[in-house]
Amino acid sequence: MNWLLNSMFAYWVVLLLFSLGAAAVIYFMWLKDSLI
Amino acid sequence: MFEFAIAGISAPIFLLVLTGMTVGMVGGFIGVGGGYMVTPALIVFGFPGYMASGIDVMHIAGKSVVATIRHRQLGNIDWILGLTMVGGTMMGVEMGVRLLNYTKALGLSGIALLTGSVGIMIGLFLYTQIETHKAQKKINELTKAGKTVGRELSVSTLPLFFQNIALRPIVRCHTARIVISMWVIVIIGIATGVLAGFFGVGGGFIRVPALVYIAGATTHIAVGTDLLEIVVSGGYGALRQYMSGNVDMIAVWFMIIGAMFGAQFGSIATSFVRGPAIRYILSYSLVLATTGAFLRLFYMLTAQKYEFLNFFAVVFTLGEMIFLCLFIMTLVIFSVRHRHGKWVPGWIPSLVATP
Repeated sequence: MNWLLNSMFAYWVVLLLFSLGAAAVIYFMWLKDSLI
Repeated sequence: MFEFAIAGISAPIFLLVLTGMTVGMVGGFIGVGGGYMVTPALIVFGFPGYMASGIDVMHIAGKSVVATIRHRQLGNIDWILGLTMVGGTMMGVEMGVRLLNYTKALGLSGIALLTGSVGIMIGLFLYTQIETHKAQKKINELTKAGKTVGRELSVSTLPLFFQNIALRPIVRCHTARIVISMWVIVIIGIATGVLAGFFGVGGGFIRVPALVYIAGATTHIAVGTDLLEIVVSGGYGALRQYMSGNVDMIAVWFMIIGAMFGAQFGSIATSFVRGPAIRYILSYSLVLATTGAFLRLFYMLTAQKYEFLNFFAVVFTLGEMIFLCLFIMTLVIFSVRHRHGKWVPGWIPSLVATP
C-alpha cells in the first residue's frame, strides 16, 4: 500500500482507473438507455 | 429520469447535480468557473449545443457569487484589476453570444462548440504542463539549496514584457502588486469575453492563465479577481442567453444545488495547496475533458453510427468529474495531515502551502 501512496504517478493512475470504472458502472446502471 | 421540456430531452437529475457539484468544487478550487467542462459534458449527456452553453452560463452566474464572497474573505481579489477589465469583458460577451446564435441558426452549435472546446483545451493543456514542469523544477532546486519556498512562485518572463508597455493610462493594482497599461487589461477582458459569450463559460480557464502569464498576478490573486469578473460576465451572458431562448431553468436549478456545496469546499481548499498544484489539477482535468468532448464530436460527425464512441465519451466525462472530486479531497486531507506533523506521502510537501 505504501508504494502506491509514495509514488505520485501510481496514485494518480489508480485514482483515475477507479473513477473511470465508477463512471462505467453508472453508465450501465442508469444511463445506457436514456442518453441519445 | 426528468423531462426537460424546453431543452427537449429527458435526463437523470443526479447527472446535473453531480455536474454542478464537481464544477463547483473544481471552480472554487482552481478559480475557473468550470464551464469548460460543463458545456461539452452537457452535450455528451444529450443537451443541444446552444442549450448547453445557455445552461452553463446561467448556473455559473449564480455559483460565482458564492465563490467570490469566499475569495473576498481570503483577500484574493484585486478590485482595481477586476473593475478595469469589466468594460472589455462585457463587449466580448456580446460578440460571443451573437456568434453562438449565428451557429444555432445554421444548426451547427453542437459541433462548433465541441470543436472549439477540444482545440482550446489541447492548447491549454500543453501550456500549463510546460509551466508546471518549470515551476516544480525550480521548487526542487530551491529546496535542495535549503531555501524556503512560499505559497507562490513565478517562472514566466512574459509578464515583464507586458508590464513594460507604456501605453497610458497606466493602472496600479495594489493587491496584485502590478503596474500595467489599462489597454492590456481591457484586451484580456475582450478576448476572454468572446469565449465566455460563445462557449457559455465564465472564461476563467483563459483569464486565470492570462492574468498569471500576461499581467503577472499570482495564481491566488488571479483566481479571486477572475471570480469577480465572472460575476459580471456571467450575469450579462446569462441575461443575453435567456433573451435568445438558450436556457432551461429547471436544469439550471439542479446544477446550482450541487454547485453551492462544491464551491464552498473548493474555495477553502485553496488555502491548503500551493499554486503549482492548482495548475497540475487544471491541466489533468483538461486532458480528461478533452478526451470526452473529442469522442462525442466524433460520434456526432459519424452520424451517431458507432455507439461505443458515445459510451467512452460518457465514461471519460463522468470519470473526469469523479476523479477531480476525489483528487481535490485527498489533497486537502493530506495537507491537513502535513500541517499536524502526521505521515504523508513523499510527494505531498512540495504541493502544500506553508501556513
